[in-house]
Amino acid sequence: MGPEDCEAESLESFFPTDEDIDKWMSSAFDMAREALENGEVPVGCLMVYKDEVVGKGRNEVNETKNATRHAEMVAVDQVLDWCRCSGLDVRSVCERTVLYVTVEPCIMCAAALRLINLPVVVYGCRNERFGGCGSVLDVSSAHLPQTGTTFKCVSGHRAEEAVEMLKTFYKQENPNGHLNSHLF
Amino acid sequence: MEPQMKRWKGSVYDADSWVAYPVLSDEQSQDVELIEAFAAPIVNKKETSRLVRELNSLYPLNGFQHIKRVRACKEKGSPHPLEVLVCLISDVPDMKEVSIDSLLPSDGVKPDGLGEPFVVKVPARPPLTRPQFELASQHWPTSFHEDKLVTVALRGELFTPTQKATMHMYMMSALTAAKAGKELGMEAVGAVVVDPEMERIVAVGHDCRGDHPLHHAVMVCIDLVARSQGSGCFCFDSYPACRFTPLTANTSQNVSDSDAGSRPYICTGYDLYVTREPCVMCAMALVHSRIGRVFYGTASLDGALGTKYKIHSQKDLNHRFEVYKGVLSKPCEDLNISDDHDKKDSGQ
Ligand SMILES: [Zn+2]
Ligand SMILES: [Zn+2]
Repeated sequence: MGPEDCEAESLESFFPTDEDIDKWMSSAFDMAREALENGEVPVGCLMVYKDEVVGKGRNEVNETKNATRHAEMVAVDQVLDWCRCSGLDVRSVCERTVLYVTVEPCIMCAAALRLINLPVVVYGCRNERFGGCGSVLDVSSAHLPQTGTTFKCVSGHRAEEAVEMLKTFYKQENPNGHLNSHLF
Repeated sequence: MEPQMKRWKGSVYDADSWVAYPVLSDEQSQDVELIEAFAAPIVNKKETSRLVRELNSLYPLNGFQHIKRVRACKEKGSPHPLEVLVCLISDVPDMKEVSIDSLLPSDGVKPDGLGEPFVVKVPARPPLTRPQFELASQHWPTSFHEDKLVTVALRGELFTPTQKATMHMYMMSALTAAKAGKELGMEAVGAVVVDPEMERIVAVGHDCRGDHPLHHAVMVCIDLVARSQGSGCFCFDSYPACRFTPLTANTSQNVSDSDAGSRPYICTGYDLYVTREPCVMCAMALVHSRIGRVFYGTASLDGALGTKYKIHSQKDLNHRFEVYKGVLSKPCEDLNISDDHDKKDSGQ
């Protein structure tokens, strides 16, 4: 058996089932709704390794004044901490971790997820303005040999709901209808 | 600035040893696309203005206003001095046998003074740069609204010697940081964020991915800029070459955005100097941070500001910025070369 067969088989064995997706996306949506109720960007995301949440994130751009603190980036940091605490190798954990997020990761986050060798991303709605998994650029599957590994996407889970939350948020943020675009 | 200039003269670190070229958008740098059209000789010059007027109303060149209707004949001794563009081939899609009579319906344009039509190629889009204009004009006369700054920039002459000396100094800081990072076993990449109005270094960083796979030099700098404004979320204190200048009352007084500390886009108006072209993550992080301009030394294989993508000029994104490459290109390139040497050495 060649190394490729090996890879394909192991990806298969931990690829999320419909049941996994329902369960974890429902947590991600709870996080997004909570964020919306607190006037924050309604994006929820979690990283799951062996049926355990090893990272969670919400947008922290405003409090850190660091425009790269998207929910996914915050969650990645938690995964790294979790690995350190558990004494596990970052790469071997990330290679078996799934990201569940209510909105398609942006171009930056998609590249970051490649760089940590994350294999699967499950997301709700498209991110028309910044999406890095096909909406603006397809970073997830592009040929970028020096930027980690490509990842698979499962999209569209409760997409309308995710869009509705974003619309509600933008209306609160900016009643004039001008989209405040720095926030996710 | 003067004494520093003298010190650098004659070495590879001379500001005359490099040229900064703009990294233009795809639209500005692509080849000239051509489409086919019918032209016809004007055998009777006196008919020219009538023909142009009537052709303009019969076959208006909608969306092709850059194409001139009439051209002077190239070859000397040509029996007719002028040629006129009758229509685009796409204007008459179903025409089987083309003659001047079939192209011009009897109630539209009187064919008096026109010879038989022939096919020419004309530029499909208005030229955006002088090189595109020169190429387009070889096919058919084309009008060009020249952006003089782009022309000067493409010649590598946008920056004055004084500006180049300043750019040189900032990139030297990035190089120094890159080497410090390399000493610590990181990738040899350094970056510097500058407030060009105040001529002040805001942050200096180097690659730290030995500690964190996403701490590329640019990401480190973005967080250090946030720290300079009292926020940020990482501590790079164990890396002496990663530093920031706190924003004080003194340094912020000239900032027009009234209160720099509270502006949502932390890198607005700032320049970034980085030894090599940023990757996709870093390039998009610069979009999110609303960077002013980016200067890099050398291209990288997966680079996102010119090589694989041009994220700074990407359609649909809400922020665009200028990018220049080639600043201190040789020493920036050498950072990678010596990396390879090290690997070879350690392999022996
Ligand atoms: Zn993102
Ligand atoms: Zn990078």
